Amino acid sequence: MSNEHAHAPAHDDDEHNPHLAHHFDTMGQQTASAKLGMWLFLATEILMFSGLFLAYFILRMFYPEMVLEAHEHLSKWAGGINTVVLLTSSYTMALGVRSIQLGDVKKLRLMLVLTILCGCIFMVVKYFEYSAKFQHGMLPGKYYTAHLHGYEIDGLPHIFFGVYFMMTGLHGIHVAIGLAIMLWMFVRAGRGEFGAKNYVAIENTGLYWHLVDLIWIFLFPLLYLVK
Amino acid sequence: MAKVFLNGQPVEHPHEVHEHISPMSTYNAVIGALFVLTGLTFAVSFADLGPASLTVAMVVAFIKASLVVAYFMHLKYDDKYHLFVFLGTIIFVGIFFGFTMFDLKSRDALNDEQETFVRWKEQQNAGKGLVVGVDNVPERRAKVLADIEAHGGGHGGGDHGGEHKADAKAEHKAAAH
Repeated sequence: MSNEHAHAPAHDDDEHNPHLAHHFDTMGQQTASAKLGMWLFLATEILMFSGLFLAYFILRMFYPEMVLEAHEHLSKWAGGINTVVLLTSSYTMALGVRSIQLGDVKKLRLMLVLTILCGCIFMVVKYFEYSAKFQHGMLPGKYYTAHLHGYEIDGLPHIFFGVYFMMTGLHGIHVAIGLAIMLWMFVRAGRGEFGAKNYVAIENTGLYWHLVDLIWIFLFPLLYLVK
Repeated sequence: MAKVFLNGQPVEHPHEVHEHISPMSTYNAVIGALFVLTGLTFAVSFADLGPASLTVAMVVAFIKASLVVAYFMHLKYDDKYHLFVFLGTIIFVGIFFGFTMFDLKSRDALNDEQETFVRWKEQQNAGKGLVVGVDNVPERRAKVLADIEAHGGGHGGGDHGGEHKADAKAEHKAAAH
């Protein structure tokens, strides 16, 4: 891009790549910087969620019977379906990254659509789960009214549902943001912005989506399954 | 030509891109394994494993997470520096969990030793949950005890509500029963 590189070797075609920002020497360096930044961001995400996981473990340590009793009110099947859906979406996302590595924009767009579809199914299942909880008054803190709906849970169920809604809610927000980013990537791919040598935005979207999947891999057994 | 650096290291051939492209068979095998392991956790949750169930569920979750990180997120083939960032984060999460749990688990012994106590156990027995803690700073203790008194003892001590004394140790012994 800049004339400072006039003395670069002749086989170098990076200078002519319109996607190379002027402050990077090569596409490889630009890609590595973007990916390192993404990994650092994912690190902060893991640390943020770890606080909620710790809250769960503390609650479980102090009130094991209450957590077991309250978790019986979560639908194993809804959680299980969502796990399969989210794992599938991670698979299609990984295939999308592979497609663009091979330069196949059409397949990338198909994979993005499939991933978005899975994400939407996840949100719909979540919607039904949440509305059931709302109906039964199984809500956090002072909004907890399940005892008025005929559910007797000993101990501190309002704290359990606080942890439940914070964990799944924050995760759900991440899914929603992921869907928006994938839609954006779908549009950008349609404009021909990505190719076999320039796909780090797709790869970083994938990394983000896989992290959302990773968090669910731990949320699902802890909240829905563990006895 | 100008020297090119990646993560602080000089790069010999900066214009060659070494992106690993996994074959379809890898992705298919990984998603297959993920489904099998999900089925396993799901099936195990119906069996009565007692306290071991948490361990089993966490081990399976760690295997699933490792598969996703290694193959879907390409960490197995990626710059090792990204693996360092990721594992570094996990280590800090471990410190965070380890120290907090250790503190909470050893709190009872410390309370005995230092004549302080937190009322959560007593509260739990009364089915009322964590409401108030009393510590060994005399002014704070007096204030909290006065508050409990003002509420008729209802929030504080369950059956022991009426017997508040200024002596925290006596209070603690009552709570232990």
